[in-house]
Amino acid sequence: MLAIDAIGVTKVYRSASQPAIKDISLRVEAGKIFTLLGRNGAGKTTFVRMCATQLLPTSGTISVLGYDAVRQAKHVRDLISIVPQEGRPLRALTPWDHVYNWLQIRGDSKSAARDKTEVMLRKLEIYGARDSPAMNLSGGMKQKILVAMAMATDAQLLFLDEPTIGLDPVSRRQVWTAIKDWKSKGGSILLTTHYMDEAEMLSDYIVIIDKGMIIAQGTIQELRKVIPQNIRVDIARDTLDVDTLKSYGSVVDTGAGMLRIFTFESAVRELSDLALRHNLSFTVSSVTLDDVFVYIMGNGIIDDQNARD
Amino acid sequence: MPETSLLPVRQVLLIAYMTGVLWLRRNPMSLVFTAISPFSLLFVLFVVSGGQYIHFAVAGSLVMALVGYGLALGQDISFYKTEYKVQDVFVASPVSPLTYMVGLALSELLFGLPALLVLATLVVYFGSVFSIPLLVATILLIWGAMSALGFFLSSHMLHMRNATQVISFVNVILAVLPPVFYSMDVMPDVLRPLAYAVPTTHASLMLQDIMGIPTPADWSLEFGFAIQIAYLLAFITLAKTKALWREN
Repeated sequence: MLAIDAIGVTKVYRSASQPAIKDISLRVEAGKIFTLLGRNGAGKTTFVRMCATQLLPTSGTISVLGYDAVRQAKHVRDLISIVPQEGRPLRALTPWDHVYNWLQIRGDSKSAARDKTEVMLRKLEIYGARDSPAMNLSGGMKQKILVAMAMATDAQLLFLDEPTIGLDPVSRRQVWTAIKDWKSKGGSILLTTHYMDEAEMLSDYIVIIDKGMIIAQGTIQELRKVIPQNIRVDIARDTLDVDTLKSYGSVVDTGAGMLRIFTFESAVRELSDLALRHNLSFTVSSVTLDDVFVYIMGNGIIDDQNARD
Repeated sequence: MPETSLLPVRQVLLIAYMTGVLWLRRNPMSLVFTAISPFSLLFVLFVVSGGQYIHFAVAGSLVMALVGYGLALGQDISFYKTEYKVQDVFVASPVSPLTYMVGLALSELLFGLPALLVLATLVVYFGSVFSIPLLVATILLIWGAMSALGFFLSSHMLHMRNATQVISFVNVILAVLPPVFYSMDVMPDVLRPLAYAVPTTHASLMLQDIMGIPTPADWSLEFGFAIQIAYLLAFITLAKTKALWREN
């Protein structure tokens, strides 16, 4: 079954001259974590909001869990839950107030709401602050309240629009665990994030969009193949000749005086010798989703010719 | 999820509880601040007229307070929508726009309860206890109509500042210019049809009638009721069909 089936979706805001989303078609399988990656303004939130029945598409059709998101929005709304981008909890309400009352608003009995609230607040480690008004909590705790509200529900499809923004590394991992638990119970998730490690850790399928269009999609393994090489070497730029480095593979200027060379294992020894000869720091690691993203976006690529092998 | 016909009622009460009761429990001074403002014009009119215009001042203050609470709903909704993204969460949920509106409107009413009780008591004091049902009906009609109008207006506002400006403007149109604080007799004949086209005129006349103030010969309680009900239905229809719940 498909959680989302979008066909030829376009969105043009009234005040805009360019479409925010251009003719996007994609299918999100139920029971999977589907991630939208893209730069700021790429159209991720617009797409999520259309699927979550918050925004009307200009053209195209979106089916969510078998229901038309425009004509059968009421059915869709019974089955979904969201964490909005840049949302905030109500200042005077505590984490418990938010989650417990929200669950009852969605139709849970008092006892079910109480149990679910306790489980979710404990899972996200905000149970200790359950009676503190949100105005007295840190930004990360506030964000976790919104995540808890969405994830404590019985919704079948969860829309998470940058759910871990502002969270410390430990809190992010708590949210990741909750997301994985949700998926293990058969739930589906449409996630947007700027964090590549998050996408890499959670996603079953990734779509990269830019300027409202899909520019790449696939599983993480499939996307990694976008870069022909499998190793990356970060090396201080200093006096190194870029043309020399290009002979080892694709070179990307990552800023802050560092160059990144995508290459193969066979070139690692030569590159490390080169760095040592020039007394430069360097690191060697495998290609990550972050590299794929930068590579696809074309940011700072000095040369994308294949490395010698 | 349990499918019960009472779920919308429960949703309304829970929304009012979250945004009204819980807020007031932790910010009790809000009640004091909200309670004082409806008495400002009443005080001025009472002092300036040496008590002569007290009936008009009470009727006007009660109508103005109800208009204010209804339209304040619009400001709250704009605030929740633009600053907190609360409306985004509600839109993508089983809560209907009407339920959301009524829940928040009830919450606004809670904030205004002390002032409403004092003003309503004054109306009964100048009228009679037998007029309480009529008084309650008048209050509910104008509060319902203004809340629906506030919801409709706020749903079209993309910025909090726009919402405040528009709502202040509508407040003047509905609660200051028409004969809400003054007698219909001082209206020039040519402007009377215009005054009768405004729902707050009828709310004020109904309150004046309850307090035993002579009302215009060409106006009756039934006429006032009919206009008020028509406006309530029209504004609810407007809120239900034309308010932007899902953005376009």
